[in-house]
Amino acid sequence: MQRIETYRVDGMTCAACSSAVERITGKLEGVDSVSVNLATGKMNVTFDESLVTEETIFKKIEKAGYQPSQDVTLKEIIIPVEGMT
Amino acid sequence: MERSVKKLDGVEAVSVNGVTNKATISYNTKTLRVSQLKQAIKKAGYTPLDIEKENTSKTVEENKQKADSSWMRFKVAIGFAIPLLYVAMGHMMGLPIPGIIDPMHNPLNFALIQLVLVIPIMLAGSKFYTMGFRTLLSGHPNMDSLIAVGTSAAFIYGLVAIFEISIGNVEWVMDLYFETAGVIIALIMLGKSLESRSKGRTSEAIQKLIGMQPKEAIVLHGKEEIRIPIEEVEAGDIVLVKPGDRLPVDGEVIDGRSSVDESMLTGESIPVEKTVGDKVAAATVNKNGMLKVQTIGVGEDTALAKIIHMVEQAQGSKAPIARLADIISGYFVPVVIVLALLAGGVWWFATQDISFALRIFISVLVIACPCALGLATPTAIMVGTGKGAENGVLIKSGVALESAHKIDAIVFDKTGTITEGKPKVTDIVTAEGFTKDEILQLVASAEKASEHPLGEAIVEAAQEAKLEFYEVTDFEAIPGHGIQTMVNGIEVVIGNEKMLSEYVIESALMEKSHELAGQGKTPMFVAINKTFAGVIAVADTVKPSSKEAVRRLKDLGIRVAMITGDHRTTANAIANEVGIDMVLSEVLPEDKAEEVKKLQNQNLKVAMVGDGINDAPALAQSDVGIAIGSGTDVAMESADVVLMKSDIEDVVTAIELSKATIRNIKQNLFWAFFYNTAGIPLAAGVFYALGGPLMSPMFAAAAMSFSSVSVVTNALRLRRFKPSHKQA
Repeated sequence: MQRIETYRVDGMTCAACSSAVERITGKLEGVDSVSVNLATGKMNVTFDESLVTEETIFKKIEKAGYQPSQDVTLKEIIIPVEGMT
Repeated sequence: MERSVKKLDGVEAVSVNGVTNKATISYNTKTLRVSQLKQAIKKAGYTPLDIEKENTSKTVEENKQKADSSWMRFKVAIGFAIPLLYVAMGHMMGLPIPGIIDPMHNPLNFALIQLVLVIPIMLAGSKFYTMGFRTLLSGHPNMDSLIAVGTSAAFIYGLVAIFEISIGNVEWVMDLYFETAGVIIALIMLGKSLESRSKGRTSEAIQKLIGMQPKEAIVLHGKEEIRIPIEEVEAGDIVLVKPGDRLPVDGEVIDGRSSVDESMLTGESIPVEKTVGDKVAAATVNKNGMLKVQTIGVGEDTALAKIIHMVEQAQGSKAPIARLADIISGYFVPVVIVLALLAGGVWWFATQDISFALRIFISVLVIACPCALGLATPTAIMVGTGKGAENGVLIKSGVALESAHKIDAIVFDKTGTITEGKPKVTDIVTAEGFTKDEILQLVASAEKASEHPLGEAIVEAAQEAKLEFYEVTDFEAIPGHGIQTMVNGIEVVIGNEKMLSEYVIESALMEKSHELAGQGKTPMFVAINKTFAGVIAVADTVKPSSKEAVRRLKDLGIRVAMITGDHRTTANAIANEVGIDMVLSEVLPEDKAEEVKKLQNQNLKVAMVGDGINDAPALAQSDVGIAIGSGTDVAMESADVVLMKSDIEDVVTAIELSKATIRNIKQNLFWAFFYNTAGIPLAAGVFYALGGPLMSPMFAAAAMSFSSVSVVTNALRLRRFKPSHKQA
C-alpha cells in the first residue's frame, strides 16, 4: 500500500546533506518519491509499505549520519483523577 | 487505568501517581484529543478532573535548547579563537607579546600555546568531525566533511611543525596553521548560528497564525458559564464570545449580533457584520457585541488549522526552479574535494612549498560549501507563502507559486467571481400614475410567496427600502412566464414580455426594457389591476473591485477572459463593464475545462479563477487553478491557489507575490552560484598566479559563512511585500 509520510531529519547542515538524504532514500526499493527540504528540516516520502518499512528508511538515513524521526507534536498533561484506591 | 490509557493510539507515555492521585500523560496532539483521554479514564472507572498543567510542543523547546547550546559552543570557540589569533598574528603587526611565548626566543612555547588554545575550539566544534568524517566515509560528504578535512589538515600540519621545532628546525615556526583551524571553526559556527536565527524568522507568518489559536473557551452549560481549555470543547457545544475576545471555535451564531474582524484569515481589514445564522471562524476577533456560537469545528477541524496545515505543506514543498541547484549540490562536495587536492597538488609541484599548497587546499575546501545553494529556494518559498497567508492568499505548493509568475492568460468564471453571484434589483421604470415604492411594495409582497431567485432579489430590495409586506390571498405560478397574484385585494401580475402581451405597453417603456435587456439585465413586467405599471430590472451585479483588478492584470501583460453559461448579450454586457474583451459565453459547465484546454493549446499558460461551483474540472485543467472566497471544498482540493476573500483583487496579489518570490529566488541562486563559482578559483590561487590577490583560508571561511547568511537575509526582504492594491 502506498503511504505518504512527513518525517523530521536532524543534523542536516547544507544542501549536500539534504541531497544525500534524498538520494539514499530514493535508492531504496519501494520508495516512490522523496523530497527533502533543508530550510524546514523535513522530508516527504511516498513509499510502498509492502516493499519497504519506515524502520528501513530510518536506518539507512541514520547510517549516513543523520537523525530521522517521526514528525509529531507531543504534549504532556497532568490530570488529577478521582476514584483511585 | 494506566493500561487503558496506554492502549490509545497516540499515547506516548503514562504515569499515575497513586499518592497525589495525578496522571501524567504524554501524547501526540495530531492523533488524540483530551476528550478521548478523559473518556478512556472514565471507562476504566475513574473520574478525571480538570487539567492541572499542560506542556505544549516539546519541539519548540528542543529547538530553543539546541540553538542555545550551539550559541554557547560558539562563545567557547570565539573565546579561544581571539587570543589564538592574537598570539599567532599579533607579533607580525608589532603588538606586544610576553617573552615566554615569543616566536623568536621561545619558538616551541609559541607553538605549544597555540596548540593549547586550538584544542578547546576543536572540541566545541566536535560535531563537524563526527558528522564530517562519518558522512565522508559513507560516501556522501557534506559541509561538515569539508570543514573537518580542512581543519584537520591544518591541525596535523601544526603537529608536524611542533615536532620539527622541537628537534631544532626553528624555521617551521612561521608555518603553524592552528589559528587557521580555530578561526575557521569559530566563523562557520557564527555563520550557522546567524543562519538558523534568520531561518526561524522565515516562518514568522505561520508562527503568528499558530499563536492565534485560542487556548480557552467559555462554554454554556444551561445558564452556567464555564471556562474550559479549548481541547475539551466539542462540536455542538455553545460557546459564549465576549466583545474583544478571539473566537475559540468555528461555528454558527445562534444569538447576538456583532462585527467580527476576520483580517487574520482573509486579509480583509474591514470587520464583517455577523448575526444569527452566520458562520464564524476560530481566531477571528469579536469587536463589539456578545455572541453565542454553536460549535461546528474545534482544534484541527477549524478553518484556521486547515490554513496552517496548507501553508506548512506548501512551505515544505519544492519549486521546480530548485531542481538544478539540488542536482549540483549533490555532486558539489566530492567535486570540491577533488579540486582542492588538485589545486594544492599543482601549487606544491610548482612552488615546492608544502605550506603554501596546504593553504590553498584548505581555502578551496572551506569556501566551496554549497550551503547557500540549498537555502536559496526554500527560504524564499517559506517567506512568500507565509506572506500570502497573511494577505488571504493561500498558495498550496512551490510548483503553484512558480507557475503563477509565468501566467499569460487568466480565465474568470463570471458568476460569483467577477459578479456577486446574487441577482439584485438594478432599475425600476414606472408607467404613468405609479410610483417606484408602490410597485416594489406590491411586487415584493407577491414574490415573497415564490421561491424564484429573481423574486428573492425583489424581496430584498423592498426590505432594504424598509417597505412593509401585504398579505397575499391568491397565488398562481405560470412556469416560464411569471406569477399571477392577489395582494391586499389588488391583482398583481408579474412576468416576462409574453405574459403581459395582452396589456398596452407604452412604446417608450418597451424601448427602455429592451435597453435594459441589452445591458444584460432581466426586465420583469408588472401589471396592477389590469393596467401595465412598469418594469423592474434584476441583474447579477459586478463586484466593486473587479474592474480595477482586470485593469491591473492587463497592466501586467496578461490576457483576461471571462467564461460563462450565460447568453451572449448578458455576458458581453458584464465583460464590457469590467473591461474584458475575450468572452466565452454560452459554455456548458462540463465544457469549461475544454475551453481552458483550447487556450493552452495556443501555447498560453492559463490560470482559471472560479468559486468551484461546477468549475472544479476547469480549475484542475488550468496551469494554475485559483479558487475564490468561501469556495467549496472540491474547489479547494482541485485548486493550486485558494483566495480566502471573494475578491479578484487577490488574483493580482497572488501573481504579484509569485513574481516577487521568483525574483527573490533568482537573486538568491545568483548569489549562491556566484559565491561558489567565483570563490573557488580565487581560493585556488588562479588569480594569484596571474598576479592578482590570494585568499587566506580564514577569509574563505568568512565568505562562506556570509554567503548563506546573505541568502537568508535576502529571502527575509520578501516580508516587506505589499499587494499593489494596498499601496497608497
